[in-house]
Amino acid sequence: MTITESERGIQDPSEYRGVRRIDHAPQIFNNQPARYYLMWLLLPAIILLAGISLYPFVWLIYMSLHEVQLAPGKSDLWAGFDNFSRLFSDKNFARGWLTLFKYSALCLSVEISLGVLVAVILNNSRLEKLFITIFLMPMMMAPVVAGFLYMFLYNGTFGWYFWLLRSLGVLDGGSILGNKFWAMFGVVATDVWQWTPLIALITLAGLKRVPQEQVEANMVDGAGPVRNFFSVALPNLYPFLLIAILLRFMDNFRFIDTILIMTGGGPANATKILPTYLFDVSFKFFELGRGAAIAFTLLLLTILLGLVLTKIFEDPTRKIKSNGGG
Amino acid sequence: MFQVPKNALYKKISRRKFLELGGGTAVALGAGSLGVGLGSVITRRPVYASSSMEAKWRQYEGSKLVFMSENTPPSFAIRDNIKAFYDLTGIEVEILTDGLPTVQQKVGIDLRSGQADYQLNYVQDKPIGSPFADFYADLNDFSVDDTLPLDPQGYGDEVWFENYLDACGVYYERGPIRAFPYDCAVSCTFYRQDLFEKLTKDFEADYGYRMEFTDETTYKNMVDFTAFFKKMHERDASIPYGYAQHHGSFGWTTQLDIQRHMYAQNQWLDFAVDDTLGSKNPGPANWGDAQSVKAMEGYKALADVSHPDNLTNGTLELNTVYAAGGVAMQIQYHEFAASVEDSEQSVAAGGRTAYAMGPKGDPSWNADGSNNVVNATNCGIGGIGINAGASMDLQRAAFIFASWACSHETQLMVLQGVGGTPTRRSVLDLPEVKAARNRPTSMPNALTFEAVYDKGIRSPNMVLGPKLPKANEYHEIVRVGTQQCISGELSAQEACESVRDELNAIHGV
Repeated sequence: MTITESERGIQDPSEYRGVRRIDHAPQIFNNQPARYYLMWLLLPAIILLAGISLYPFVWLIYMSLHEVQLAPGKSDLWAGFDNFSRLFSDKNFARGWLTLFKYSALCLSVEISLGVLVAVILNNSRLEKLFITIFLMPMMMAPVVAGFLYMFLYNGTFGWYFWLLRSLGVLDGGSILGNKFWAMFGVVATDVWQWTPLIALITLAGLKRVPQEQVEANMVDGAGPVRNFFSVALPNLYPFLLIAILLRFMDNFRFIDTILIMTGGGPANATKILPTYLFDVSFKFFELGRGAAIAFTLLLLTILLGLVLTKIFEDPTRKIKSNGGG
Repeated sequence: MFQVPKNALYKKISRRKFLELGGGTAVALGAGSLGVGLGSVITRRPVYASSSMEAKWRQYEGSKLVFMSENTPPSFAIRDNIKAFYDLTGIEVEILTDGLPTVQQKVGIDLRSGQADYQLNYVQDKPIGSPFADFYADLNDFSVDDTLPLDPQGYGDEVWFENYLDACGVYYERGPIRAFPYDCAVSCTFYRQDLFEKLTKDFEADYGYRMEFTDETTYKNMVDFTAFFKKMHERDASIPYGYAQHHGSFGWTTQLDIQRHMYAQNQWLDFAVDDTLGSKNPGPANWGDAQSVKAMEGYKALADVSHPDNLTNGTLELNTVYAAGGVAMQIQYHEFAASVEDSEQSVAAGGRTAYAMGPKGDPSWNADGSNNVVNATNCGIGGIGINAGASMDLQRAAFIFASWACSHETQLMVLQGVGGTPTRRSVLDLPEVKAARNRPTSMPNALTFEAVYDKGIRSPNMVLGPKLPKANEYHEIVRVGTQQCISGELSAQEACESVRDELNAIHGV
């Protein structure tokens, strides 16, 4: 004989499956006329959002399929997939991707490591608020200003960082931004200086959410601070780190201000990440069709990599649940 | 404050009414300020050929124009003295200035959009004139119009220095004039005469000849001088490096720098085209031939002993390095003499700097072994052009400004002020300008005039460089190829061939 849910005292089948149901909205909002009413209220916002995001996206696709004339009275010429097929033979395009991956990987790995370290050190310290305020200052600066600042700091004639590194024997008489190897580290260091505080801030917020009882239980079992961090804090930080990594990863794929100011992509294309090349093609060479094709690939890969990152950093507790575990 | 009775005639303004009134006011104010503040304004009084000169000057009184220009001395000086133009014409001109790469982008977008927000443009010959020539009005139409206040000297080729009108005004065909020469930046050598005199004996002991800079000094001598200064700097940090090239983030400055070096050898050119006209189809590039490779090897040899920041310094940064005492020599544009001679911002001021033509090519770097070497000199001739997308009245009003800005009187004013670079021959004939060529001088740029106007721009020394619709791609390709060679990524041969292949690809060869 089958025992029904009502007989087991479960009123709502969804509750049985572990889904909590919270009805915030009064019943009156759920009837059909009210839904239409709400839809009409939302329509202006939907149209505005569509205008802001969808229209440029459609226009981007249009441009990528045309030879954009950009001259009064001249019509754009249909190019089919020519703009895309040209990318396969464009060595600057391939090189731009490689440089972008290198730049982004360097920035992300250093920023995440440093940001988490800073957050762990600052968490619950006496001067936490003071230090976090001080650390946030670089973030308040416009990237263009940061670019100029570091360009001067690296300058071989009067730059303080140049003098410091040279005094330490690191540069061996060379240059920072004039050397292919050091130029990449120069622009990465600028990004790290400006955006590590963001990672620290997000991580610090995450650390506040780590359940104290788990930490204490772990300590009772004999775990030290390092073990505690990796076993308890880090798994709880995953959603926060995901946000931080996604933000910075997407920023790296679109921010070109500092690189344009500091090196313009040089020397010898050593720092010419794909968005910088996209800028050149679109606004120096005015080839908007080809620029749109590059932008489209950039957008596509950003979305794909974003999805991959989301998968990698998926909340481990949810992973366990979905695998049928505890 | 007061108790309002229920039946009072007074009515409180409703929230809806308040928002309506507020919104309406904001829209009206916004539209008004956009119309008045950002756009151009044109008002016109009819004039005739027989009208007085004053009537012709003032025919657009009350109008407003916008001039987008590079942040160079003439534009600053004209902006400082714009009241003189307003008093003369009643036309208000808003002068916006920015770095050349930004000007290039803003002007390019404006021209291509057809909006004509900037009726007047700074037409730097290669990066702006070459790609956008078709978007500028033909100034011939205005320069014969009797109803405009024409310059008494005229606008013909003979009133400007040789090649200047061709450089900035003529593109791809004879006939239309797209811009008048407004300023010019001509390259010459700035060197620390005090250091040369002080160290020449040491140099002679090492190299067997005196360290002097003359018209016969070659690029190979420059390599010797630069290597010597580098060695001295390593012994004593108070002695500067010898030399630095123009690289940095703007492709054109690098292209100009290597162009001088290449042309000095056998008068080598990138394409088989007439540089005074340029070409929309330049054909195969000469890069990769034996001469280009030989010259590139020489350029690399010079780079190897130059200042360590060689690959980061654009034109402006290089001048800063020189003024700060970081290098003993630079090939620089003569407009920078004013800042170098300013003792408040330069350690090279006060007679320490001397000026000469660019170095000569060296016969041993000629692939065919010939003696065809020149003191290569190149330039950026900044013209002033009129946006063809503007209305005819706006174009006419803009012509009045262009004519005034390029006039003899205005050029003299700029030269006496922040340091101009005259384009009209008549300015250099003035007794006060002739006197200013010698120290002490109130016009420091005049110290360069012998190297620039008497020698540098004369044939066969002057190389104009190719005008191409894809000028900016060309500059970028040359910049990257050159830097790849200097940084050791590619050999001279590989770099030249890479540049050739990319140039041929963009030109469909």
